[in-house]
Amino acid sequence: MTMWARLRSWTAAMLGRSRMERDMDEEMRFHIESYAAELMQRGVPQQEALRQARLEFGGMETAKEECRDAVGVSFLETLFQDMRHGIRTMQRTPVFTVIAATVLALGIGANTAIFSVVDAVLLRPLDYKDSGRLVTVLMNGDAPVAPANYIDWRDQNRSFEAMGAADYWSPNLTGLDSPEHLVGLKVTQNLFPMLGINPLIGRLFVPGEDKDGADREVILNYRLWQRRFSGDRNVLGKPIVLDGNAFTIVGVMPQGFQFAPFWATKAELWVPNAFGARIHSRGGNSLRIFARLKDGVSLTQARAEMAAITGRLEQQYPGTNRDVVVTPLKEKVVGEIETPLLVLLGAVGFVLLITCANVAHMLLARAAARQKEVAVRTALGARRGRIVRQFLTESLLLGCLGGVAGLALAALGTKFLVALSPANIPRVQTVGIDIRAALFLFGATFVTSIGFGLAPALQASSVALSDTLKEGGRGNSEGRGRNRLRNLLVVSEFALALMLLIGAGLMIRTFAALGAVDAGFNPHHVISMVVSVAGSKEADPARRAVFYRQLIERVRSLPGVEAAGAINHLPLAGDLWGWPFVIEGRPKPRPGEYPGSTYRMVTPGYFAAMRLPLIRGRDVAETDNVTAPGVVIINERAAHEYWPGEDPIGKRISFDSDKANPPTWLTVIGVAKDAKQYDWAGEAFPETYLAAFQNHDFLGDSGLEAASHVSYITLVARTIGDPAALAPSMKEAAWSFDRNLAISQVVTMDGVVADANAQPRFEMLLLTIFAAVALVLATVGIYGVISYSASRRTHEIGVRMSLGASRFDVLLLVVRQGVWLALAGSVTGIFGALLLSRLMAKLLYGVKPTDPATFVAVAAGLGLVAMLACYLPARRAMRIDPMAALRYE
Amino acid sequence: MDKQLELLQGTLDLLILKAVSLSPLHGYGILLRIQQISKERLEIQQGSLYPALYRLEHQGWITSEWGESENKRRARYYRLTAAGKRRLQSETDRWNEMTAVIAGILQTTPEEL
Repeated sequence: MTMWARLRSWTAAMLGRSRMERDMDEEMRFHIESYAAELMQRGVPQQEALRQARLEFGGMETAKEECRDAVGVSFLETLFQDMRHGIRTMQRTPVFTVIAATVLALGIGANTAIFSVVDAVLLRPLDYKDSGRLVTVLMNGDAPVAPANYIDWRDQNRSFEAMGAADYWSPNLTGLDSPEHLVGLKVTQNLFPMLGINPLIGRLFVPGEDKDGADREVILNYRLWQRRFSGDRNVLGKPIVLDGNAFTIVGVMPQGFQFAPFWATKAELWVPNAFGARIHSRGGNSLRIFARLKDGVSLTQARAEMAAITGRLEQQYPGTNRDVVVTPLKEKVVGEIETPLLVLLGAVGFVLLITCANVAHMLLARAAARQKEVAVRTALGARRGRIVRQFLTESLLLGCLGGVAGLALAALGTKFLVALSPANIPRVQTVGIDIRAALFLFGATFVTSIGFGLAPALQASSVALSDTLKEGGRGNSEGRGRNRLRNLLVVSEFALALMLLIGAGLMIRTFAALGAVDAGFNPHHVISMVVSVAGSKEADPARRAVFYRQLIERVRSLPGVEAAGAINHLPLAGDLWGWPFVIEGRPKPRPGEYPGSTYRMVTPGYFAAMRLPLIRGRDVAETDNVTAPGVVIINERAAHEYWPGEDPIGKRISFDSDKANPPTWLTVIGVAKDAKQYDWAGEAFPETYLAAFQNHDFLGDSGLEAASHVSYITLVARTIGDPAALAPSMKEAAWSFDRNLAISQVVTMDGVVADANAQPRFEMLLLTIFAAVALVLATVGIYGVISYSASRRTHEIGVRMSLGASRFDVLLLVVRQGVWLALAGSVTGIFGALLLSRLMAKLLYGVKPTDPATFVAVAAGLGLVAMLACYLPARRAMRIDPMAALRYE
Repeated sequence: MDKQLELLQGTLDLLILKAVSLSPLHGYGILLRIQQISKERLEIQQGSLYPALYRLEHQGWITSEWGESENKRRARYYRLTAAGKRRLQSETDRWNEMTAVIAGILQTTPEEL
C-alpha cells in the first residue's frame, strides 16, 4: 500500500468513527428521553423521571463500549490505550525492560541472522532462469566426464533441451599494467543460453564460436570488468592476452552472476571450449556437464534415459560411462551444506525457545507482583479477555523492543557469519538482512511475544479477586498451578540447554579429533605460492627448467628460509589430478581397471620443505633430469595397494603405455608417508610423485596442448620464523626475474589446514556460542525460580528454624528443589539429545552421535552449574534470622 | 404485575428480530414492542438492547436509517433484511424444536422410563 492510500483509509476510519459516536449518543439519548417523557405522563416530576430513566437504562458508557466492540471499531483505540499503559509500565521498571529486551534481542537476532544465511544459501532458487529444471550430469555425481562421452550424451539424449560442458581453465592475464593469474572456464557455446541470463553489455557466444580456431572470444564477469577495466563500456571488441594468446572481449555478465555454482565458483571469465584433439578422448576426464530438462520431462525419466544411453556406451567402450548420475543443480550446490545449516537453524531455534521461557519466567514473576493492579481493574469491570489482551499487548511491545534491537544484532550477526563462514558455503556472499529476513524477524517477534506472553497473561488474569484485595498487597496467593508452570519452564530450559550443550560438545570433540589427525607433513612454518609463467618470457620451454631451478635456488637463499622446493599442486589447496598407470611385468589391466593415483610432480627440496618423511628409499635429486632414467616416489597407500607384501623400490611403472612405444618407464625410488591430499577427514588415496625436472609436461616441451595446464609451479618454503612474513621477499624473488610473472595463492600451510577445517570449526563455534547463551539463560532461569521460591518461603523457613531445623537442613530444603528441576530437565534433555544427535551424524568426525563421555560430561557439568545457581539463594536462606522471618509481613 | 422473568441467554437477538419483522422500529420502540407482546413479563436491561442492535446490524440481519419519530424527533429506525428474515425463520424453528425437546424431557414421568 502506498503512503497516500494508507493515509486515506486511516482518515476514513477516523471520520466514520466520530459519526458513529454521534449516532450512538443521539440514539441512546432519544431512548432515555422518550422513556422519561412516558414517566412524566404518568405523573413523575421531570427531574425524577430523567433520573429513573437513566438508572433503568444502565451504564451508557458500558453500552457504548459494547456497541463499539460489536462493530469492531474499538480495536485500534484499545490497542493504543494498552500500548500507552504498556509503555508506562516499561518506564516504571527500566531494569526489567532492558534485561528482557536484551534477552529477546539475542534470541530474535541470532535466529534472524541464521535464517538469512539459510535463506540465501538453501531456500532461494539459483539465479538462473527457471533454475529448477537445471541438472548436472557427472560420474558418481561428482567426478568430471571425458569429451567423447559428453558428445555422445549430448547427441543421443531426448530428455534435455540443451546439454553443455565446462572445463576448468586458469590463464594468466598479461599485457596490462600487472599480470594476474585468473580462474576461468572454457564453456561450450550452448551453455550460457541454457542458463537464460543475458549479458550486461555485449553478447553471449554464438554458434560456431566453440569450433577450433574460432575460439578466441572472452566474456568477463562484472568484478573482473570493474577491477581491470574500470567498468569501461568500450571494452567490447578490445583484445586481452590470456596465456600469451589474444582474445576479443565480446560481453560482460551482470553483477552477481556466478558460474559454475558448485565448483570453480571464483571463475571470472569464460571462453569457448573447442575440444581440439581431445574431442575423441574417453580418458581425460575434465568436463562438468550441465543440462536443462525439456518441458514435461521428469528427473526420473531423464535419469532412466541417461542410464540407457550410458549402458549402451559402456558395452561399446568398456570401462567408460560407468556410474553416471543426474543431479538437480540446486541439490549439487547446497547438498554438502544443507545438513550443517539445518542443524544450526534447529540449534538457534532452541535458543529462541529458551529465550521465550526465560522472559516468560520474568513476566510470571512480575505478574505476581501486579496481582493487585489486575484485581483493581477486574473490580472496575474489566473482563478477563480484556486483561489478557492488555498483557499480550505489553508482551508485544516488549517483543518489538527486542525485535528492533534484534534487527541490529542480526545485521551485525550476518556480517560475522559471512566473515566466519567456510569458503565452501555457496552463495554466502549474498547473505544479508533483506525484506525476507525482515519478514522473518517480524514473524519471529510476533510469535515469540505471544509465546512468552500468553502464559503469564492467562495466569495474571485468573486472579482470585477478593483474596487479593483482602490480603492488602501481600500477594501470597501463589497457586500450585503457577509454581507448576514455572517449574515446567525451568525443566524445559534445562532440557533444551542440555541438548545444545551436547551438540556443542560433540562438535568440540569432532574438532579435537580433526586437530589430532596427522597430515603426514608438518604444516607449521610453511608458506607457498603459485608462480605462473604463461604469457611471460619464461614460458619458453627452452628457458623454463633453468628459470624454475634458479627461482627455487633464490627462494632457498632468502634469509629465514630453511628449505624450499616446488610441486605442481599443493595438497589440500590445489587441484587434484588422477592418472592411471601400468606396472611393468604385470598383465595389461582391463579398461577402467588400471591402478590409479593422485599425480604430482615435485622438485628436490619439496619433501624437506613440507617435512613429509620418506619411509623408504631416497628423495628425487638434482641429477634426476631429462637425461637420467625416470624415477617416481609413491606413498604408503600405493605401496600397500599395488605391491602388497612386496618391496616396491626398484619396480617400474608407466603412465604412457597406451600412447608411447616404447613406454616411458619410471623406477620407484622411494616411499613417502601418506599425506592429506584433498579432504582433511578423508582416507589417503594412492599417490605418485614424479620428478618434475624430467617431466615434459612440467617443463612445457612435450608439445601437447595439455602443457598449458602446467605452466606454473607451486613454490613451498619452510621458514624459521613467521611464514607469512616471508611473502613479500618471496614474491620479489620471482619478480626479480620477470615482472610479467603472475603470482597467486600466497598461503601459509597452517592457513590451508585451517581452511580445510573451516566448516567443522564454523559449526563448532556457532553451536558453542548458542550452547553458551543457552547455559547462561538456563542458569539465570533456575536461579530466578529458586531464589523467588526461597524468598516466598522466608516465613516457613523461619518457622522451621525456630522449631530446630539446622542451617544445613535449610540448605537442603532449598537446593533440593533446584536439584529436582535440574534432574528432570537433564533426563528430558538426554532423551531429546539421543533422538536428535543422530541428525548431526554427518557433521561429526571421530565421535559417535551418542558418545557417552560427552553426554555424561555435559550432564554432570550442567548439574554442577545448577547446584551453584541454587546455592546462592540457599545461602541467603540459611542466614535468615528466625525471629525476623516470623515477623516478616 | 407478576414477577418478571430474566431473559434466557441468547434470546434477546431472537426477540429483536421478531419485533422488527412486524414493522420498522427505533430502539425504544423495540423495547416497548417486546414488553407489550410479553405483557411486561420479561425483564430487559435497556442498555443491553443497543449492543445487540449494533451486533445484528454488523452481521447484516437488520439495517437502520434515520427517520422521524411519533413526537417529531430524529430517531433511528431498524428493519429486517432478507438475510435477517431467513435467520429469524431458522432461529424460530430451532427455538421451537429446543423447547419441545426440553418440555418433553421435563414432562417425563418415572412410569415412562
